[in-house]
Amino acid sequence: MIDRFSRSVALRNLGFNLGQSALTVGVVAISVTLVIFLGALIGGLQRRLISSVTGSVPHVVVRQAERDPVAAWDLPRTGPDAPIVVGEEVKLQQRKMKIEDWAVWTSRLRDFDPDILAVSPVVEGQAILARGEKRQSISVTGVTPELHNKVVEIEDKLVSGRFFGLNGGEAAIGFKLAEEFAVRLGDKVRITSSEGTVGDYTVAGIFDTGFAAVDGRTVFVTLRDAQSLFQLGGAVTSIGLKLRTIFEADTLAARLMTQMPYEAESWMEQNQTLLSGLRAQSQSSNLIIGFTVVASGFGIAAILIMAVVSKLREIGIYKAIGATRRQILATFTFQGTLLALVGSLVGTALGVGLTLGLMQVRMAASSTGRTVEVFPMMLTGGLIATAIGMATGVGFLASLYPAWRAARVDPIEVIRGA
Amino acid sequence: MSGGMDGMDTMDEMDARAAVAGDDDAATQVFDIDKIFTDGITTQVLFDVNLTVRKGEFLAIIGASGSGKTTLLNIIGLLDKPTRGRVMLSGRDAAALSEDERARMRRDYLGFIFQFHYLSPEFNVLENALMPCRLRGRAAERENTDRVQGLLERVGLGDRLRNRPSQLSGGQQQRVAIVRALANDPMLVLADEPTGNLDSKSGRGVFDLMRELNQATGKAFVIVTHDEMFAKEADRVVHIVDGRIE
Repeated sequence: MIDRFSRSVALRNLGFNLGQSALTVGVVAISVTLVIFLGALIGGLQRRLISSVTGSVPHVVVRQAERDPVAAWDLPRTGPDAPIVVGEEVKLQQRKMKIEDWAVWTSRLRDFDPDILAVSPVVEGQAILARGEKRQSISVTGVTPELHNKVVEIEDKLVSGRFFGLNGGEAAIGFKLAEEFAVRLGDKVRITSSEGTVGDYTVAGIFDTGFAAVDGRTVFVTLRDAQSLFQLGGAVTSIGLKLRTIFEADTLAARLMTQMPYEAESWMEQNQTLLSGLRAQSQSSNLIIGFTVVASGFGIAAILIMAVVSKLREIGIYKAIGATRRQILATFTFQGTLLALVGSLVGTALGVGLTLGLMQVRMAASSTGRTVEVFPMMLTGGLIATAIGMATGVGFLASLYPAWRAARVDPIEVIRGA
Repeated sequence: MSGGMDGMDTMDEMDARAAVAGDDDAATQVFDIDKIFTDGITTQVLFDVNLTVRKGEFLAIIGASGSGKTTLLNIIGLLDKPTRGRVMLSGRDAAALSEDERARMRRDYLGFIFQFHYLSPEFNVLENALMPCRLRGRAAERENTDRVQGLLERVGLGDRLRNRPSQLSGGQQQRVAIVRALANDPMLVLADEPTGNLDSKSGRGVFDLMRELNQATGKAFVIVTHDEMFAKEADRVVHIVDGRIE
């Protein structure tokens, strides 16, 4: 493709005009650094925003569909006869939304789609936490800790005590709740459920997830304890799922609904505003990245045109002694593409260095000593490959016009003009 | 492209002429060359020029400036196309060839020496001299390296092979350019005022060198000059006056 002549002339040109080469490499390097840094920052911000939503909840929740039966006295009267009412009269408020056959569905869900990473049956309900005179409304979540941790991480967020191996009569509570009630590991608290059942629990774990709603309101107990607190027998209230690709949650939930007698709700339905915000952010960042790359392309083109103009005479002589247009074209496209490639490698090194450096900067996020990154960065191989590929591609395109100009040089004019 | 049409008409006639001229002996031949420049105003610089350069011949073209001698050399060298007429090189009609084909013909059959040396500052003396071979590829370069190196030694630059052109004197630079013109073992070397940029002593040296190489290698040389002194030493002199051979 590129013969010995084109390669050697291109390489010598680069070496002979080191200042010019360094300038071009610099232009490309800066733009690639910017692309990588911006890409990583925006990716990281998005990941943080998304995890601020999805970090504390399952990606998809399967629960009993909510139904609103019409009261007998509200039924439309269509004829002279009173309507026939089927079933018994129940108090709507006390209707329990429960899944009796969860064991079957849990195992079926595991095999439903390879995208489903974990499945956890959950009992959720409202309760009052009490210790001494103090009481507060809380949310009790009954889980099998080892299973649930795969859906929503708690074990890694423990400040003290344990989550895995939680026994009957033990509870794991958020650190804010613990501060509020001034309880420590081993202390007893009393939980009164919305069903009126009362139980005393020993605090066995305190966690700090970084989600205020969880840290200040949630108490984890075992599945069985929660079942008895809420008088559910052997049933659960929902099944939580964790997915590999969180943005597939919508479609997966829709597919599940067609095949289950329950309702499946994805995190995306709950967060439409956030998602459209993220999309707008992605678009504007792509725009910035696009402009940056285009600008560097113009930079390369300008410098290469200068290089061609300063070499018109040599190019003319090469053509006079037998260089073909193709050889001249190859020389200058190779020169431009190589500069862009070197520039993008340098830029990648700078961008990755900058990103990794900023990732080290952390700040305290809560009284438990948990820290978070000041700059949330997400550096992926895909981002780096895209930046290198794009910059090199643009370098190639930017070199086409100068190379074409060079290939068109008429040797006669060079000789005559001398 | 319109020139191609003319070519078709006269092809048979030309072959006949070539046969009559007995052309195993010719390095290159031009027939009935007219050259008209239409750069704003139309100027005809060559009128019905016929010329045969014999193999091994040392031919001088002399004429006043503006007489058309450089234009004729450029046409012989396939750098320029005649408005009318044929240029036969190695049995092929150059007018019928594409730009890249003519570039390859120049590379393989012709050597060029210009008024200025035009060596590439990025390459050393040996690389510059080998450039026509490098244009043909790695193999050609390897095959010719020893011969070209021998030529550089012969012109007194054996100890300057790795030097940059800027480290040489004007005369030495022109010697490198002469060796470059011979690098591909061409049929014909074309030189346009090769001594024009040199002082008389260096110019004499360069001229003598070309004459010597002509005799040693048997390559035909066509030299455009306005120096009568040099012209006298050529095998044959062609005078151009106002675009016509006298």
